[in-house]
Amino acid sequence: MKRAKFVALLAGFTFIFLAIFVQAFIPSRLKETSVKYVTRTIRTSLGELQEVKGDSRPYEGVIEQGRKIYIREGCWYCHSMYVRPVTGEERRWGPVSQVGEYAYDTPHLFGTRRIGPDLTRDGGRYGDDWHHVHFFDARVIVPDSIMPKFPWLFELKDGKEVPNAEGAALIAFVQNLGMNRGKWRDEFSSQIVSGGSAAITTAGSLSHGKEVYEKRCQGCHGEKGDGKGEAAAFFTKVLPRDFTSATFKFRTTPSGSLPLDSDLYRTITAGVRGTAMPPWYELPEVDRWDVVQYIKTFGAEFKVSVPDPPIYVPRAPNPTEELLARGEELHKTFQCATCHGEDHKGDGPSAASLTDDWGNHIQPADFTTGIFKVGPRPEDIYRTFMTGLNGTPMPAYDSALPSEEDRWALSYYILSLSADMR
Amino acid sequence: MDSQETLVNNDLVRAWLKWGFFWSIFGPLIGILVSLKFNYPNFLNTEYTVFGRLRPIHINGVVFGFFTTVVFGLFYYMVPKITGVRLYREEWGRPLILIWNLALAAGFIGIAAGYNNGLEVAEFPAPVAVVLWLVFVTIAFQIFKTIGHRKEETLYVSLWYLIAGLVWTSVNLVLGYFILPYFTSGANSAALHGLFIHYTVGLWITPAGLACIYYFLPAASGNPLYSHRLGLIGFWSLAFFYPFVGIHHYLFSPIVDWAETLAIGASLMLIIPVTAVLVNFYGTLKGKWHTFIDNFTVKLLIVGTLFYFLGSLQGCFEAMRGLQKSTHFTDFVIAHSHLTVFGGYIVFALASCYYVWPKVTGLPFSRNLARVSTWMIIIGISGMGLGLITQGLIQGNMLMTGSVFVDSVAAMKPYWLLRSGVGITMDVGVALVAINLLRGKA
Repeated sequence: MKRAKFVALLAGFTFIFLAIFVQAFIPSRLKETSVKYVTRTIRTSLGELQEVKGDSRPYEGVIEQGRKIYIREGCWYCHSMYVRPVTGEERRWGPVSQVGEYAYDTPHLFGTRRIGPDLTRDGGRYGDDWHHVHFFDARVIVPDSIMPKFPWLFELKDGKEVPNAEGAALIAFVQNLGMNRGKWRDEFSSQIVSGGSAAITTAGSLSHGKEVYEKRCQGCHGEKGDGKGEAAAFFTKVLPRDFTSATFKFRTTPSGSLPLDSDLYRTITAGVRGTAMPPWYELPEVDRWDVVQYIKTFGAEFKVSVPDPPIYVPRAPNPTEELLARGEELHKTFQCATCHGEDHKGDGPSAASLTDDWGNHIQPADFTTGIFKVGPRPEDIYRTFMTGLNGTPMPAYDSALPSEEDRWALSYYILSLSADMR
Repeated sequence: MDSQETLVNNDLVRAWLKWGFFWSIFGPLIGILVSLKFNYPNFLNTEYTVFGRLRPIHINGVVFGFFTTVVFGLFYYMVPKITGVRLYREEWGRPLILIWNLALAAGFIGIAAGYNNGLEVAEFPAPVAVVLWLVFVTIAFQIFKTIGHRKEETLYVSLWYLIAGLVWTSVNLVLGYFILPYFTSGANSAALHGLFIHYTVGLWITPAGLACIYYFLPAASGNPLYSHRLGLIGFWSLAFFYPFVGIHHYLFSPIVDWAETLAIGASLMLIIPVTAVLVNFYGTLKGKWHTFIDNFTVKLLIVGTLFYFLGSLQGCFEAMRGLQKSTHFTDFVIAHSHLTVFGGYIVFALASCYYVWPKVTGLPFSRNLARVSTWMIIIGISGMGLGLITQGLIQGNMLMTGSVFVDSVAAMKPYWLLRSGVGITMDVGVALVAINLLRGKA
């Protein structure tokens, strides 16, 4: 009789409570596990990026609702949610996880399996349009994906499948992932590439580029490169580029010119923030260079002419209050608000009537969101003033802005409009 | 023999086992459906049967449906036999069986309908969790009372595991069902959850499974236990180290480093009980190896011990940071869970059924069918273990060397097809065991 109670008390109760005390209770009492702050990248009122200590944010409203749907659908069985400091995960996904990021996670969603990628840093990696297609049928946009389709998160509206309230909430939750860390993506080294050398083309480049294209690009840009892929039908914001026109927005070459190979390479690597074009920095370099060669075969113009010499973008100076004041002045002089709006939200008086070269309505950039299609660095904004965006109503200001200082002034002013603190 | 016959309430054992046989087909079948989705993602893709809802049904269906229901039946047989007295309050048996199984069914329907706590292995919605916990605690109470009334003073090894396992799990289910979803957050939630996950396998499936083999291996082979002292070493090292291992599920996470390191150390120390158990069972057959050929209980118990040893050893090493860098998050871990839970404990439970079922029904089973099903189980689980380990290593290395994530998924597809194949093989093997016993013909 005595021995039975001994086993129950010592082996049963004592050991399990000892372990729970040591492994769960003590850690939970430690200062370092109950912090409610994170390292956050913010944009200062001078338009620069800075790392600060910021409070963790609890889930609210539609994001909280989205989290419940994420749990209900069991997304967390296949998608882990912590970036480890090993095996290059911080180069693949972004900064290593901090304890404060999870302060309001009940239950936690760390996960134990990665049948799909880790989602800790997924917010902002893809545009909403991408998620629409991907939740509706992932294989349209990622042929090798094994993610389920979620048609019950969609409804038919004007002949188009659009996310219903639950689908929209889920996307809002996913887009918020990692946002505790603020604008970390703007200084994510994997995604930053400037220029680079010209592509080295080999005999196999085109056939390899074609393989890459079919696997990664065709879902949106289409088999013929005309931007009419299966996924494009879902897009509401920015349509996939039509390569047959050989017109590209993001270049280092002057207005109206063809882009350099390295310009296309840069866009492929960094993606186009806020749109369905994701960053492809994970692709091997040779894949990226070869697909550039293949993309060029769609545009007849590439066969008959060569790009103009690129415009040199010098190193950005340090911003000052005076520089920003000058920038604001220039902003008035050039009447940027006519398109981009007095409140800088891309809703100026002429915004509604703007169209691109294909006759589609085009929305001027909203400077307050901190999401820049051209890139988040002052050099990226500077480059845009110098080259304009081909195919859009955004002109080049290279001759209108002859002063080097003025160019930087306006660039920093634009960046400062998305400052996290003023 | 006659006096012993009257000790066991055959009706109750039969009722538990019949439900267990039902779940033995249900849980693995869901596993097959889930595994087919890896290669055919559009297969059975409805709101209620999407991957994220079927997967928890598979795991809970096997752990709480199949395994737990069967071992409850085996306990109802074993405890009176060992203690020499009838089970305490046998009249509770019928309602307990009914409530337990209906609650499980309600839980599975609940998960399919989208009620999920968001915590692996603790998914059951709260009302179901309350009922399951109450039934569990009542059965534990029944068994404790029975042990309290026992005729023999000394406590056989099986009873140590039984007592400890029932206490541990009564506590653990409180952690998982009632504390984790409501009172914890962030890294602390993960730490406690890591403990919970591993308590479910280490402090329920392990002691319950070992209680069975410690009783049924000597009973079926006719040899006494090889070493009582090894049994002691195995039990106390397991009881002391196992409660500390859980956080190895979340290495390199924001959980404090020393807690992770402690979990790794404890995981490695589990080599002691694992080896002790292996030696003890192989030793028990000394001079009786012919029963390994003739007797399906012995055959499956010894085969199960081998998978238990390999799977558990893999688990010990898998806890180390160096190996986990590449293998964690991959199918390498899924190989470990199948080798131990299926190859070890499910096989122990099935082996015990070959012993108990004919005793409580008086009906023999077909030896030919038993031979076929045994081979299907062995081939199935071996293929699954090898296949999953291989693909886990491949995917881990692809990701370490910078492959695009989705390419590492694409590379797994042929292995996943193989996994479905061997999975079907072992699950049909299990179903044949159930059918063979239920038919009750020579």
